Amino acid sequence: MLLKKKKGFLQELYLIEIIKGLMITMKNMLFAPKVTIQFPEERRNYSDRYRGMHYLKATNGVENCTACMLCPTVCPAECIHIEAGERPDKEKYPVKFEIDLLRCCFCGMCEEACPKDAIKLSNIYEMSTTYREVYDKQFLLEQRGNK
Amino acid sequence: MPKCIIDGREVEFTPGQNLIEAAKGAGIDIPLFCYHPGLSVVAQCRMCAVEIEKMPKLQTACSTLAAEGMVVKTKSQKTVENQKSVMEFLLANHPLDCPICDKSGECDLQDNSYKHGSAYSRTTEERRTYLDLDMGPVIKKNMNRCIHCTRCIRFGSEIAEIREMVALKRGNNTEITTIDGRPLETDYAGNYADICPTGSLTIKDFRFKKRVWFLEKVPTVCEGCSKGCNMEIHQDNNQIYRCVPRENKEINHYWLCDEGRFNFHYVEREDRLLDPARTKTSGLEVCDWASSIDLAKAALAGKNIAILVGSDLTQEEAAAVLQFKEQHYSQASIYHFGTPGILSTRDDAPEDRILKRKSKTANLNGLEKLGIRGFSKLSADVTGLLIIRGGRATLPADIDGVEKVGIGVFMKDQALMFSVILPGLSFAEKDGTILNYEGREQRIRRALQPPGQAKGLSEILMMWANRKTSHGAA
Ligand code: SF4
Ligand code: SF4
Ligand code: SF4
Ligand code: SF4
Ligand code: FES
Repeated sequence: MLLKKKKGFLQELYLIEIIKGLMITMKNMLFAPKVTIQFPEERRNYSDRYRGMHYLKATNGVENCTACMLCPTVCPAECIHIEAGERPDKEKYPVKFEIDLLRCCFCGMCEEACPKDAIKLSNIYEMSTTYREVYDKQFLLEQRGNK
Repeated sequence: MPKCIIDGREVEFTPGQNLIEAAKGAGIDIPLFCYHPGLSVVAQCRMCAVEIEKMPKLQTACSTLAAEGMVVKTKSQKTVENQKSVMEFLLANHPLDCPICDKSGECDLQDNSYKHGSAYSRTTEERRTYLDLDMGPVIKKNMNRCIHCTRCIRFGSEIAEIREMVALKRGNNTEITTIDGRPLETDYAGNYADICPTGSLTIKDFRFKKRVWFLEKVPTVCEGCSKGCNMEIHQDNNQIYRCVPRENKEINHYWLCDEGRFNFHYVEREDRLLDPARTKTSGLEVCDWASSIDLAKAALAGKNIAILVGSDLTQEEAAAVLQFKEQHYSQASIYHFGTPGILSTRDDAPEDRILKRKSKTANLNGLEKLGIRGFSKLSADVTGLLIIRGGRATLPADIDGVEKVGIGVFMKDQALMFSVILPGLSFAEKDGTILNYEGREQRIRRALQPPGQAKGLSEILMMWANRKTSHGAA
């Protein structure tokens, strides 16, 4: 059986407890270091390994990608679409390289599968747009994130 | 049946079988490169070497016949060490091309390297390279990837009956090429790419189109001629990417001619008519199914009709047409057409000594068995023609001056001679049975969904029969 302790009048009011609680709140509000930031004026620096928006690497102005199709093969969201072609300076290259970021789950498996170090995930995380966007090869080559 | 012991298991074999075939019968795979069941045995690559008890050295399984009581070890240390060193030897000059190589995914070298090779390379030397060479319209050559198994050379001289591939020079400088660098001449060139265990010889038509692991493989039969070669259609996302031979020891063994291999392109041609249409002086006009069937009926109403069926129809379709004729056009005469100059199976003969036959449609024999005769000439009293075909039969010449309705696969320029066209299905879009020249019944299978508004023949005939029109069904 639970024994109820008899409380005095002041204790029954709970006023002291409320003031105690408020003091903790005030202490945290006024003196503790802040954990939030003033986005978008302030921005956080993410780790280099953060998996954000993709980009395509190029070496000496030539895209690294050889359209081997390993990234569309491994991609669990099936959001990469590549069409391969041939040109004089590169036996096999992607004529089309498109990523539908709305389907992407940012698992980073494409980056892991790539034998040419061509597809990378940058640390850009602001990807909301007001229209549905499929990023094409040109965009992916130009967007470099923080790299 | 005699027995030998492979990897500790008793394995039955037929006398004359080599160890590779005997082991395969028991589900044991011996890695190999130069051996091909359809070609002579040269024992050149040494990949298949296995340990045999009471023999001092490893023996190549492809050139050793299985014998009663033989004890073979395919996984012993000696065998495995040999496989490892053969792989290292072959890869010493092999480029790291898999990402751009069309063979990747079905490459013997890749598979064997994965299963039996080492993941690391010890070589630092520059790799041997060869100049590029144009080998004609079918085959793309990249000799840097060649492992000198000579399968291609043997295919040329033994199967295609033309010696066009040769090995020049010796040792490390060996180069497989065509005589004088000439383009390939055989009509069976596609097979070079199929049998090449590496990506040295690949098909130009398929180049970079698709990675092979995305393809769905549908077993079917070629409709290119009356031989009835077995093949596979490889499709993805309702589009055919290539056709490859399917093994059938009774008919085509492991081979396919180029005509049959690339025949599928018409199925996806831009100018294929996919909607019911009628011709006007201004050209084709697309209609809906109901009104185009009315128009077709009206065009043939009151006419003296002949029905021409292409010998590329399946047995089921031809039977449906015969029934349709009995019920609705019993006065009409019916003939088959398909290849100019081939009126019956008597005219159908081998075109060469390999596979091809003269009848360029697959079901000539079947239609003849159904009692349909060949079409030679339009008789003078015929005033209306109902022409039904798949997509392969060549339309007969000299049929001008009569009203024509077409059912089947037609290109837009062909369509202009008809007053009404009802689009049907090609061989890749339907199931059915065909009889080859020897009377062998084989199934063709649907690989694609019907494109556009095209419909199966029995459905079209049913709509035709069931539709009441003001002209009154004939
Ligand atoms: S991150 Fe994952 S889901 Fe996104 S494209 Fe790459 S593999 Fe596909
Ligand atoms: S895995 Fe790399 S090289 Fe291959 S297609 Fe993707 S980005 Fe290109
Ligand atoms: S031949 Fe085979 S191992 Fe060589 S690059 Fe092509 S896929 Fe890779
Ligand atoms: S081209 Fe292919 S089939 Fe011919 S020898 Fe080289 S690897 Fe063998
Ligand atoms: S397969 Fe036996 S030596 Fe090549």
